[in-house]
Amino acid sequence: MSTAAAAVTASAGAIGKDKSAAATMVEVCTVRLGSTTFGVPITHILEIVGSARPQPVPLAPVFVGGLVHYRGDVLTTVSLRQLLDMPPKEGRQDLLVLECAGGIFGLLVDLVGEVLTVPSSDYEPNPSTLDERRRALFAGTYKLKENLLVMLDPEQLDPMRLSAARAA
Amino acid sequence: MDELTREFLIESQEGLDRMERCMTDLEERPQDAELIGDIFRSVHTIKGTTGFLGFKRLEKLAHAGENLLGLLRENKLTANREIITGLLQLLDGLRSILKTIEAEDAEGTGDDEVLIGRLEELQLPAQAAAKHPAHAKAGATAHAGARAAAPPTEIKPTQPAAPAPEPPELPAALVPSAEPEPAAAKAPAEAEGEAVRQRTPIAGSAAESTLRVDVTLLNRMMNLVGELVLTRNQVLQATSADPNMTMLSRRLDMVTADLRESVMKARMQPVSNIFSKMPRIVRDLSQSLGRRVRLQVEGQDTELDKSLLEAIKDPLTHAVRNSLDHGIESPEVRQAAGKNPEGTLKLRAAQEGSHVIIEVSDDGAGIAVEKVRQKAIERGLITAERAAHLAERELLQLIFLPGFSTAAAVTNVSGRGVGMDVVRTNVEKIGGKVEIDSRSGKGTTLRLRIPLTLAIIPALIVRSINQSFALPQGALSELVHIPPEEAAGAIEWIENAPLYRLRGQLLPLVFLDRLLMPNTEHKMTTERDNFIAVLDPDGRRFGLVVDGLADPEEIVVKPLSAVLKGIGLFSGATVLGNADLALILDPGSIAMKAGVSMREEEVALGAESELEADAIKSLEYLLVEAAGRQAAVPLTEVLRIEQIPLSRIEYIGYRPVLNFEGQLLPVEDSGGVLAAVEGNPNAQIIVVVCREGNRHVGIAVSHVLDVAAGGDLFEAGTTQRTGGVTLLKNRVTGVVDLGGVAPLPATETAQTEWSQSAGSVA
Repeated sequence: MSTAAAAVTASAGAIGKDKSAAATMVEVCTVRLGSTTFGVPITHILEIVGSARPQPVPLAPVFVGGLVHYRGDVLTTVSLRQLLDMPPKEGRQDLLVLECAGGIFGLLVDLVGEVLTVPSSDYEPNPSTLDERRRALFAGTYKLKENLLVMLDPEQLDPMRLSAARAA
Repeated sequence: MDELTREFLIESQEGLDRMERCMTDLEERPQDAELIGDIFRSVHTIKGTTGFLGFKRLEKLAHAGENLLGLLRENKLTANREIITGLLQLLDGLRSILKTIEAEDAEGTGDDEVLIGRLEELQLPAQAAAKHPAHAKAGATAHAGARAAAPPTEIKPTQPAAPAPEPPELPAALVPSAEPEPAAAKAPAEAEGEAVRQRTPIAGSAAESTLRVDVTLLNRMMNLVGELVLTRNQVLQATSADPNMTMLSRRLDMVTADLRESVMKARMQPVSNIFSKMPRIVRDLSQSLGRRVRLQVEGQDTELDKSLLEAIKDPLTHAVRNSLDHGIESPEVRQAAGKNPEGTLKLRAAQEGSHVIIEVSDDGAGIAVEKVRQKAIERGLITAERAAHLAERELLQLIFLPGFSTAAAVTNVSGRGVGMDVVRTNVEKIGGKVEIDSRSGKGTTLRLRIPLTLAIIPALIVRSINQSFALPQGALSELVHIPPEEAAGAIEWIENAPLYRLRGQLLPLVFLDRLLMPNTEHKMTTERDNFIAVLDPDGRRFGLVVDGLADPEEIVVKPLSAVLKGIGLFSGATVLGNADLALILDPGSIAMKAGVSMREEEVALGAESELEADAIKSLEYLLVEAAGRQAAVPLTEVLRIEQIPLSRIEYIGYRPVLNFEGQLLPVEDSGGVLAAVEGNPNAQIIVVVCREGNRHVGIAVSHVLDVAAGGDLFEAGTTQRTGGVTLLKNRVTGVVDLGGVAPLPATETAQTEWSQSAGSVA
C-alpha cells in the first residue's frame, strides 16, 4: 500500500522532486462520475464490487450513500455524487471498498473503469482556482492524452474525516 | 513492547489473580501449606522473570515479598491478619507497577520503600512488637481471641497435635530463632500439607489441554459464524421449495447451529473471574466499615460471554458495596435485632434458559420503604398523592430513577439508592434487566438478568419509510394494531403530542417515520395500518408507531461506523434472512430523542401504570382453544407464542418435544391438537411457550383467542376458592396446569432415549 500512496503524497507535497523521480510509474484505478474521470490509487482498494444496492440510512450526513454488506461487516459508504453536490444518479452504481488509516469504507461511483499506469512526471498539483473543499478531497491531477485524471485522496474520503470537516 | 514483556505481563497478571484468590482462603486456613506454596510461586515467578527483563523496581518489591513468604513457607512464621494485609498491599503494589509497565513500557519511578519496609518488619515479629508494643500485643490478643474456634494459628513446638486455642502469653516463644525443635514442628505441618494436596488437585493441571487465544481472533470467528448463519437463512429460504435439497439444507442448518454454539462457548468465561475479586472487596470494606460479613458464593462455574462479563463487573461491584454499606448492619445493631452478628452476603450465579441470573443478596436491614417514599417526594420524582397510592414493591423501583441517587442521598437515606440507576443503565445496555426485592429487617436481593451473548439477539422486524428495521425484543413489552378506520378515535392528541389509551392509561406515541424523516410529508394515521410497539427502555415507557410488522428473527448484530453511531438512534445493523440490511433501533435513544423522559409528570404516570399493569397482569389469562375446547394460561407465565410447522415437533419415545432455540421444550398436548392434524405434512400448529418454575414448557393449541382478566370462583356452600378454573369472559374456563407437565428424562437417560428415538424422528 505504500509505494504509490507515497508517490502521490510526496508529489503533492513537493513538486520540485518530480523531475528527479520521473521514471516512477503509478497504478491508478479510474472511476467515472458524470463526465469527469477520477483516479484512486489502487493501493488503497481492497475490492471492486459492481452494482451495489446500498441501504439508505435516515438522518445520516448527506455524503453517506448508505450501508452495504461486505464480507460479514456492514460498511458505511460515501457517495461521491452527494459529496460533490451532484444530482443523484438513477440505476446502478459501482462500489469501491477502500482501506485507509481510519478503517474500511465504501465509495459509490457511477462506473469503475480500467486501471491505468501513469508516469509521475505527468502529475500536477491542484489548481489554485479550485474551491477549498475540493482542494482538500483531490490530490492533484495527471495529464492524460485526451483528458485529465483527477486524483482522489482516499484518506480524505474517510467518512469520519468528512463528518469532522463538516462539523468544523 | 516486545513479545517477551507482553508474555510476562499476561503471566504475571494471571499469577497475581491466582494469588488474590489464595489470599482470601489463607485468612481462613492460615496453615495451608498448599496455599502458601501457590502464593510463593506466583511472587517467585515474577521476581525471577523480572530480573531477567531488567525491571529493577519490580524485582526489589517482589524480592521483599518473597522473603516474607519464604518464612511462611518454612513455617517460621504464621500468616496472621497483619501479614495478610501486608501481602495484599504487596499484591496491589505489584499490580500497579505491572500496570505502569503495560502503559509506558517502563516501570515508572514510584517509591516502594514504605511497603518494602513494612514487609521486612513483618518478617521480624519480635522487633515489630518492640517497635509498636501496644499495637502488636493488642493485635495478638485480639487475634487469639477471635480465632478461638479456628485451627491453631501459631506453631506450637511443644504440643504439635493439640488444636487448643493459643494462650496469649505464648507468642514470646514464637520468635523463629527461638524455636527449639524445628524438625518436630515441621513434620506435622508437612503431613498436613500432604493431606491438603490430596484433597485439592494441583491448580493449573488443566493448562496442558488449554490454549491461549487472542480475543480479536475469537471476535473474527464469531463474526464469520454470524455470516454463516445469515447465509444459512438465505439458503434455507431459497431451497425450501426444492424437495431434493431438504436433507442437505437441514444438515447445513444443524452444523451451523452447532458451530455457532461452539464458537460462542469459546468466548465464555466462568463468572468466578469476577466473583473471585469480591472476597477482597468484602474483606477490605467490612474492615473499614466495622461490619462482620461472611461471603457465600454459589454457581461460580456459570459461564458468560467475555464482553458481558466485563460489562457487569462494575455494576456487580457496586451492588456488593451497597450491600455492605447500606444493607448489612453493624454487629451491635444486628445483635440487638436478634440476628447473628455476622452478616451473610450471598453471590449466586445460575443459567436460566437463554439468560444468566446473578444475585447479590444480604440478610441486612432491607430498604426502608418509607424513607424511599419521602426521598422521592422531596426530590420531586413523584407527587405526594401518587406516592401515597404506591405499593411497597412499586416504591422499591423508585431507587432506580436517575436523580434518586445523589451524594445527598447517601447520607440522608439509610436505604440503598446510590447509583442504582447506573447499575440499571449498565445492565440494560447489554440487554439485561435488574430486579430488586427487599424485606424490611430481613434483607435485600438484587437480581441481574443477563443475556448469554451479545452478538446474536432476538428482534422483531418492523417496517417504516419503506425500509426494514430491527427492534430488539428485550425492551418490547407488547404490540397493538390500530387499523386505519379506528385510528381517528384511538390516537388522541394534546397539541401535537400523540397519545394512546392503553388499558386506561395514556401512552405517549412516537411515529418512527416522522422521527426518521422529519422534513417529509407522511401518510395520515387514518390512511394506513398503525402498529404500536410498546417499549419501556430504562423505565421510559412509550409506543413506537410503525407501518408494518414482519417476523421475529434472530439477528446478528454488526457494529456501525462512528459516523452513523453519531446519529444516536441506531445501535447497529444486521443482515436479514432475505439478504436485506436492516438498522437496529435503539429504544433508549429513541425515547431520549423524542423527549420521552422519566421526569415529566405524564411519563411518570406511564411508568407507574406499568407497575399497576404488572399487578393486573397477575390476574390476566391468555384464552386459547385446543381442539374445540377453551382453556386459560396465566399470562404472567407466557413467554412467547410461536407458530411452527408440525414437522418441527419431534418425539422422545411417545412424548412430543420441540427443539426451540437450541433448547428442548416438552410440549403438552392434552387437548389433542397434534393428533388432530397428524399426517398432514403442511399443518401449522401454535405452541404457547410458558415458564413453569425454572423450566419452560410448551402447550400445543389450535388458536390463541384473547387476553382477558380472570375472576376467582368459589364453591357453593363452602365458599372455598376453587383451583384450576377461573371465570373468563363470564365463562368458567379451565386453567392449564403447567406444573403437571412431566419433566423430560434427565441426563444419561435422555441421551439414550434420544439415540433410540433418532430413527423415528426422521
